Amino acid sequence: MTTLPIEERIVHMIAQLTPVRPAEIQMQHRLREDLGLDSVCSMELLSMLAEQMDLDVPIEEAMGITTVGEAVAMARRHLAARGA
Amino acid sequence: MTSALATLGRTAEESELLASLAAGIERLARAEIRPLRIDRERRIPTAVLSALAEMGLFGLSIPEAYGGSGLSMQGVCAAVATLARFDRSVATTVGLQLGLGTRGLVAFGAEELKGALLPELAAGRAIAAFAATEAGAGSDLSAIRTTAVEEPPGGLRVEGSKIYVTNGALASVFTVLASTPGLGGARRGHSLIVLRRSDPGVSTAGEEEKLGLRGSSTTGLQMDDARVPLGRVLGTPGRGMDHAAHVLAWGRTAMSAGCVGAARAALELTSAHVATRRQFGRPLAAFEVVRAQLADAAAIAFAMEALVRATCELEGRPEELAMRSIAAKVFCSEGDWEICDLAVQLHGGAGFIEDTGVALLLRDARITRIFEGANDVLLAAHGGFAAASPPVRAPLDAPAADALAASIAALRAHLRDRFGVRLMAQQRQLHRLGRLAVLSEAADAAVRRAAAEDTAGARALAAHWVEMARRRAAPLLEEIEPIEAIDAALRSAP
Repeated sequence: MTTLPIEERIVHMIAQLTPVRPAEIQMQHRLREDLGLDSVCSMELLSMLAEQMDLDVPIEEAMGITTVGEAVAMARRHLAARGA
Repeated sequence: MTSALATLGRTAEESELLASLAAGIERLARAEIRPLRIDRERRIPTAVLSALAEMGLFGLSIPEAYGGSGLSMQGVCAAVATLARFDRSVATTVGLQLGLGTRGLVAFGAEELKGALLPELAAGRAIAAFAATEAGAGSDLSAIRTTAVEEPPGGLRVEGSKIYVTNGALASVFTVLASTPGLGGARRGHSLIVLRRSDPGVSTAGEEEKLGLRGSSTTGLQMDDARVPLGRVLGTPGRGMDHAAHVLAWGRTAMSAGCVGAARAALELTSAHVATRRQFGRPLAAFEVVRAQLADAAAIAFAMEALVRATCELEGRPEELAMRSIAAKVFCSEGDWEICDLAVQLHGGAGFIEDTGVALLLRDARITRIFEGANDVLLAAHGGFAAASPPVRAPLDAPAADALAASIAALRAHLRDRFGVRLMAQQRQLHRLGRLAVLSEAADAAVRRAAAEDTAGARALAAHWVEMARRRAAPLLEEIEPIEAIDAALRSAP
């Protein structure tokens, strides 16, 4: 199960998909404009996050995510819903 | 048999110009364009390039205000299809100028830059190229390393190297996709930048030796501490990927039109051959298997042309155009290959001999499945679009095409329910969704074309293609083989 905080997990995933170094990635960064992920790559990132954390996230919800922080909040929401 | 695409413009005036261009191109081709010689000598004769420029072909897509003809995307495609009937290298050289080469400048260039460059380009005195691919960045453009940084006051310094630049040796104007960190406030943004051959630090490398399209120039582009004014950035700084998507949509559509023209040429040569070549006491055309193969090829060619037209109808609707141009590119490049391969096969041993001309058609067709986005990458992306935002489709008055679309929609809904957002990482699922979407889009386009043309021939070709699409879709609608089984086979491979 999860041992790393969600923030850390997503930062590592972004670093896999882009040349950005983990230390440079901030929660307010926009996936597209600041991190250079196009829409397909952004969906791939959210898909990887859902896969790793075993979350059932509908595609519509993922499509509304534009920043790193929103992705983290999305994952938290689904974890909380699962725990409830 | 002249393809309807060759003379079909968006307006009556455009159709008239296209008809006269088609006649001019045909005259020039018969008199001066020698495909086998172009292939052998690996260059298009200067006299042919001059004649094409004289006819205004290099300026067809450039607005009239800058000396061009201001044709619509449909008009540009018509001209490219006509050229490709005669020679693919010529069609690629001109098509590149009309699409990828000048589209960024026309759509996003500042007035001063357009005024300085477009008149020369329209007259064919200057040739344009588009440089995106790098050694480490093919289909994945986000990996490009060419970088342009601001050099106050008002300058840019560009560093990097591009490969596989079509028109490289001929071009004096290059639209380059570069990483532009910080420009326009986008931390990791990209921008399209216009470079001129005369700019300090800009140079091209030698010609590549290629499998096909040997008359079309392909070189590298080197930027060593190149300095240009900031005004060379096209459109919004940092939005280069979005602008490139627009330019690529034009490029893919023009390339698809080239596939239509070449496939037509292959079909014409093959129809003539099977009518006269006799074996076992009968012409080849009398054999049932040959007739079935030719009918399939004719139906594919009909659908290819229909899909190019359907793509052109989306000019001015960038997001839909981007998606549809992917479908057209994949379908037309595969259709071109399939038809040219059949042409070689039905020519028998003669098809393998260069003098027949069909071997050249096959070699020239091969790259179209790779450049402007490798088809497998595009299919997965197309499937991703289809999965994330399913296209709205109004039912057509064609039960077979509607049933095909409905079965694909049902699969898409099933996969979205099963995987949620995780579907976007299921590459083989996206790939098959993409392929199914392409089949359905081509079926719809063929049905709509038949309805518009309203002839028995068009209806028969459309009906045959829809039936073929249904049969080709059937195995893709089945559950895919588990990845574990595939990996097990892969591990056992020698």
